[in-house]
Amino acid sequence: MVATVLRLKFTTVAHQLRREWWRALLLIGGAVWSLTLVPMVWWAQVRLGFESADVRGTILVMAAAVCIVGWIVVPLMVTGLEDTLDPTRFATLGVSARQIAPGLTVAAFLTVPALFFAAMFVVLTGGWRYDGTTARAIATAGSLLTVAVMVLGARVAVAWSARAVNDRRARGLLLLSIGLGIAVLGSVMWVGLRDGLDDGLQYTVPVLSEWLARTPIGAGMYAPAAFVAGDAAGAVWRLAMMAATVGLLAWAWKDSIAHALIHPVHRGGGRRRRADAVLTHASSAPARRWRSGGATRAVRARMLVSWATDARYLVGAAGVVALPVLFFAVAMPVLSLETRWAFVAPVLLASSIGWGRHNDVALDNSGLWLDIVSGSRGRAVMLGRMQAVLVWAVPAVLIAVVGVLAWSGRWADAPGLIGASLGTLGTTMAVGALSSVLLPYRTAGPGDNPFGAEVGSLGASFLAQMVSSIATLIVLPLVTVPFILSLTVHAGWGWVACVTGVTLGAAAFFAGARLSGTVYDRRSGKLIAAVT
Amino acid sequence: MTHTPPPDAPAAMSLRGLSKRFGSTVAVAGIDLDIPTHSFYGVVGPNGAGKTTTLSMATGLLEPDSGSAFIHGVDMWREPARAKPLVGVLPDGLHTFDRLTGGELISYAGLMRGLDKATVRTRRDDLLAALDLDSAGSTLVTDFSAGMTKKIALACALVHAPRVLILDEPFEAVDPVSAGAIRRILKEFVASGGTVVMSSHVMALVERLCDHVAVVGGGRILAEGTIEEVSDGRDLEQRFVELVGDVSDQRDLSWLRQS
Repeated sequence: MVATVLRLKFTTVAHQLRREWWRALLLIGGAVWSLTLVPMVWWAQVRLGFESADVRGTILVMAAAVCIVGWIVVPLMVTGLEDTLDPTRFATLGVSARQIAPGLTVAAFLTVPALFFAAMFVVLTGGWRYDGTTARAIATAGSLLTVAVMVLGARVAVAWSARAVNDRRARGLLLLSIGLGIAVLGSVMWVGLRDGLDDGLQYTVPVLSEWLARTPIGAGMYAPAAFVAGDAAGAVWRLAMMAATVGLLAWAWKDSIAHALIHPVHRGGGRRRRADAVLTHASSAPARRWRSGGATRAVRARMLVSWATDARYLVGAAGVVALPVLFFAVAMPVLSLETRWAFVAPVLLASSIGWGRHNDVALDNSGLWLDIVSGSRGRAVMLGRMQAVLVWAVPAVLIAVVGVLAWSGRWADAPGLIGASLGTLGTTMAVGALSSVLLPYRTAGPGDNPFGAEVGSLGASFLAQMVSSIATLIVLPLVTVPFILSLTVHAGWGWVACVTGVTLGAAAFFAGARLSGTVYDRRSGKLIAAVT
Repeated sequence: MTHTPPPDAPAAMSLRGLSKRFGSTVAVAGIDLDIPTHSFYGVVGPNGAGKTTTLSMATGLLEPDSGSAFIHGVDMWREPARAKPLVGVLPDGLHTFDRLTGGELISYAGLMRGLDKATVRTRRDDLLAALDLDSAGSTLVTDFSAGMTKKIALACALVHAPRVLILDEPFEAVDPVSAGAIRRILKEFVASGGTVVMSSHVMALVERLCDHVAVVGGGRILAEGTIEEVSDGRDLEQRFVELVGDVSDQRDLSWLRQS
């Protein structure tokens, strides 16, 4: 069965490569890039060999911790990476989880990133070359077990998150725990790194690594250090704990497969809604310059329902905090940036929200036809979509602005920061709206796993993400330069930043809605084909 | 209710040289077709014949490679803002905004068609009652059965009282009671001067409901006209198999026999 599942995976990959040649380029590019890292890893293990066993252990534990966090967080944040076979596709074949789990597990290990990490960690065991064969063997076992924790941990994290976001009760809990996790991780990073990188490395990292070395995150990498220090028992229980963790994760992964096989995605949860949310938002009054028309209001009402209940939108909304939190809690302390740099965080939040909408239209792939057959409604559709985002984005950005101002105590910079943040929100949302009609790509359908990729979407998504990122970087200076001047040249620029930011943001927002609406109408005959 | 269509009206739907290819596959290879106003028109064909592709191009959902589609003389691809309000569309195989309830979906379709709030409310309630969807009004579309989804999508196609209804497989997965209700609604619509274009696999249904039929195969029109003209004195199903050809290799699955 392992061979059958593997053959299925490689046949699928081969068909994809034949149909879409650029996928091969991506694959080869990824492999080449991985290979170019080998000399660096080699150099690292040579250097490690000259360090004391204790320092070597600490460094390896921290490296493993960062990699494990990456393996678990990246597939959840950057959706669409997951290309291992989806267990639910086996549901109709009448196979049991016991039959397909080994094959799916082996397939998960036979990917470019998994192989690369395994090779990298095995190369790093070279650091123990002066400590005898036993130490080296322990290091190899520990490294391989650590890589197994990464790969299986990533699979289990994706499976559990997919299960949680499709369950109404678990969804709130999941979002709450993501929020809490980010807050805790952020504050730990901040506390550990607030006195600069050097102090952190000297005092915080050793303490942290000592603790991590007793958990399945770092135990595998620390086992040889314990052995070299004369603590053979310490090495044995660490390896045993790693093996037990791998076993537990493998069981959890098999359990997730078994669950997926007999629980087809249950989408609505039998919920009923008496009031007509769409009609309630409709207005009997005619549209005016300041009042949206009936179609725009209808789209907005529909999108607000999606933002409140659809797992794919909820995951998207939760993901926008990653970049600002990383910047604030990691980049600032590591680079020893001064207080004023904190103002970048709300701007990053606003641009994450705007950029995150770059494939917005495709998320409606199942119902797009209704908007298209209703007439040339592009402008109403795009404006309604963007208004629904504003409903939560403006409060979120303003909360971030107030939070950063309170943290820094620089309330005098409020007007400029508000201008820069709202200006960024407006301009990046315009970029996102244009990208979502010009370069839409296939994405998870309603009720699908929001962390899964749609087969054949990788290249298109890559292009769209790159183009929208570049466009975002080009428009950002328009709304942020006056604010930067207010911080660096003269405080008077703050009010200029406020006026220009808000004005340009609003202008870009409406221009983006109009222009993307026009493009929507012109491309309406191609949109459905592009996203389904 | 009875209203006679004006004489000399252009055809309700005219397709001219419509064609579409996907990669190396030719889905529709130049279709010309005139569907008379006030007719109940069936489009039949085997799987993969190009029916859905043709109807998608006629309704503004899929851009043709070449050719044009006219609704009452208005070019769908040159003047979509004028052509689209004339048509009510029920696409096949496409789902809908599944986070809305049945009632909300009809309201949404009505508002998108530019109807005012009061009209939308009246028509929503009428349609939910007429299609026996009362309980579905407050249920999320995602929890609907296939037949209910079909009915709610049909309600969305009807809400703005279009002149032409273009329905892809409207009876698929619908139970006999609901099918009866849909038949009544469509027949009354045609009797009052409307035009229905419907694709189907079920010959008996086409024979019973439609007055005209077109047989599509391999992306072309194989035969078209009134039911009598096309069936040529025989059973429509027999004639259909004659036109599109039977399964060439009728192999005996002896291993499937139980004894």
